Amino acid sequence: MFGVLVYACKLTLLPDFFSMQWDPPANQWGVGVFVAGSFITAVPALILSMAIGLGIAIASTTYLPRFVSRLLDPFVDLLAGIPSVVYGIWAFIVVGPVLGKVINPWVFAHFHTVPGFGAPEGSELGTGLPLALIVLTLMALPITTLLIRDALRSVPKDLWESGLALGATRWEVTRRVAIPYSLRGIVSAAFLGFGRAFGETVAVAMVIGSIPALPDNAYAPTYTIAAAMFQLLDSSFSDHQFLVVLTEMALVLMVITLVVNLVGRRLISNLTHFDVPGL
Amino acid sequence: MSDSLSENGGPVLAVDRLTVRAKEKAIIDHISLDFLPRSLTAFVGPSGCGKTTFIRSLNRMVELTPGLSVDGEVRYLGQNIYDRTVNPVMVRRRIGMVFQRPTVFPMSIYENAAFGLRLVHEEEEVVDRAVAEALHRAGLWDEVKDDLDRSALSLSGGQAQRLCIARALAVKPRVLLLDEPTSALDPAATQRVEDTIQRLKEEIVLVLVTHNVRQAARVSDRVAFLHSGRLIEVGPTAEVLERPREALTEQFITGRFK
Amino acid sequence: MGDTGSDLLYDRSARTRFRLGFDRAIGWLLPLLFLVAILPILDMVYYVSIQALPHLTVQVLTTTSPYQIDALRVPIVSTLYMMTLATALAVVFGLFGGVATAEILPERLAGHVRTSANLLAGTPSVAFGYFGYFAFVIAFGWGLSFIAGALTLAFFMTPYIFRTADLAFTSVPRHIREAALGSGASPSQYIVRVATPIAFPQILTGVFLAMAIGVGETAPIWLTTTPGVLVPQNWTAPVTVLTELIWENFASPAGSGLQTLAWQAAFLLLVVVVALNIVVRLFAWRYQKRLEGLYQ
Repeated sequence: MFGVLVYACKLTLLPDFFSMQWDPPANQWGVGVFVAGSFITAVPALILSMAIGLGIAIASTTYLPRFVSRLLDPFVDLLAGIPSVVYGIWAFIVVGPVLGKVINPWVFAHFHTVPGFGAPEGSELGTGLPLALIVLTLMALPITTLLIRDALRSVPKDLWESGLALGATRWEVTRRVAIPYSLRGIVSAAFLGFGRAFGETVAVAMVIGSIPALPDNAYAPTYTIAAAMFQLLDSSFSDHQFLVVLTEMALVLMVITLVVNLVGRRLISNLTHFDVPGL
Repeated sequence: MSDSLSENGGPVLAVDRLTVRAKEKAIIDHISLDFLPRSLTAFVGPSGCGKTTFIRSLNRMVELTPGLSVDGEVRYLGQNIYDRTVNPVMVRRRIGMVFQRPTVFPMSIYENAAFGLRLVHEEEEVVDRAVAEALHRAGLWDEVKDDLDRSALSLSGGQAQRLCIARALAVKPRVLLLDEPTSALDPAATQRVEDTIQRLKEEIVLVLVTHNVRQAARVSDRVAFLHSGRLIEVGPTAEVLERPREALTEQFITGRFK
Repeated sequence: MGDTGSDLLYDRSARTRFRLGFDRAIGWLLPLLFLVAILPILDMVYYVSIQALPHLTVQVLTTTSPYQIDALRVPIVSTLYMMTLATALAVVFGLFGGVATAEILPERLAGHVRTSANLLAGTPSVAFGYFGYFAFVIAFGWGLSFIAGALTLAFFMTPYIFRTADLAFTSVPRHIREAALGSGASPSQYIVRVATPIAFPQILTGVFLAMAIGVGETAPIWLTTTPGVLVPQNWTAPVTVLTELIWENFASPAGSGLQTLAWQAAFLLLVVVVALNIVVRLFAWRYQKRLEGLYQ
């Protein structure tokens, strides 16, 4: 039943392809911009959320007493359940101004000699790349944390204790034994987290500034595939070409997401948690 | 610099009124015992008697189980390992442990053996020599010397367990704790490990926990019988096993031995 | 050099001190990372409450006046309608598919179906929106309508329910299954009378979960419906859901009624989602105990 659905999705999109030429970025609607935008936002967000997720997972499994981690873990999971729109409105109204008025100018003042941190284009609203990064990192965090945590927990107790019994500190055992052992799970966390960040739509649309151009510097607004798909459908009704392009983008999004998810899932043969949306 | 503490005939490990409690109930009840150099003491007893808990309190691994409190002292060359200023990491270098199931790390044979060393030393020759020496002592050298970079996961059970022994030996501990090291191995592998243990008892102090009384008879100098956390009887192997003084001991042994 | 030769437990070479110190430092540092996750949540809750609550009167919740200012009733009821329909459909699809996969389909096919379901679950909701647009709005000819939105949302929610149902049925303890079939029950009898009551709590949990996810979604609905001022009167009517409300109004001038409306909608959504999540957790926890009893 579900194989059918997947194909149905693709089939329904396909009929609109016959007038498709793959638009090179030089054309009027360069799809490349959006693809680039999606990657520029998703990749750093992934790196950040992996780093933080790794830290939290290690803290939770190794350093914190059981009752503390049992108390704190649900908070991270809760992060996953918050609707995108709520993330968006919070980020836009609360975080944006702080970025726009305080942080960005500060960074500019101190780092403007570093290439990429030149003239701030960002408005006082703070929308643009940095805000999107923050939002995406937060949204991918529950997935990475959860998966890494599970991976670390699946290390056999014996192995762990053997490491300690050799006179290693907790950190050394974690770094040299536990992480290599659970590498599969960690890589899978990266893939699935990426899938989430890449496909996130509404929250990104709300904070990214919606300018279909490559950002000139670190603060500029830009656009992603998902966000564009979401926002522009309305305006495409009158223009068939536009619609076709958008649909192609949808297909690109789907394919990339599918591949990423497929790889990510192959690495972990069984999932024990289903309570994170987007997993 | 360290010779003032090394063997001068005194016990390497001295257990003094060790008590381990879980919520008021004593799992180990005031055990006192000395371990002299170059000896092998085997601990036997029915399941649940506390022998695993006991051996784990000799290198502070018992702290990993939540809810347990430890009283009494365990003195390594005169220094109480449970003293507040002593970090468990230091203890475990000197008192090594081998577990029931072979727990090789997912790396090469060489890296496994070198693990403990790498934490402190970096110089290649030192590590090389120590690894070779440890593998020799564990009786594994001949079998793996040609391919030390092979993944340790490809070793058979017996070989893996000897690798774990080598790994523990590489940091040159004076005491080696073995918690039922052969219960997951087949008879042939068990034999090899026992041979290794026999050789090692000429060099360091070994403490063995086993549920197999025959094994205790084969390899140990001394047997200690534990029951419900208490040390019922301890003495030279032949005496304890053939002419036990305590009724409990006799019951246990005749249930299994004769 | 170093520790290998020394027997003193107190010997602290520089290297050792570093190792021990590092471990301790990390032990304090890493847990702090939890704050990265927790602070935003708290901040969000704080702000949403601050902005929403002062103006949230019963009147706001219930007036039907043109939905622009001060009236949430329409979106709330619309959301309820939408969720009910979507959930019902999703349950039908998911349950049917799940049972079929767990019990009836041959293993190889079942494996493929499960993979598809997992992939669908991870697909961004916009993609579903486009699918729904092409399938229901255009191909089926319903136009931008309530029913299109509900169906699209249902399709989005189905993989989650499917997975739960599949899991629930496959984890019925084997001996129970064998006992039932062994005493002459037909597969369908077994499914209906034996397996379902056992699997029920787990499935219910899954349904709540899917609802929590569904209620927070914007894209599938936005792309397949047209905004409406009234509660949908019939299948093809325009409709506006709470999430859409936020999307429309979040950038309005601060302090205007519109932005406050958005905050209020956000508040309501948060309450619902958190409540559902708590319910799910409670259920899952209770269910664990029950399952342990079953395995005796």
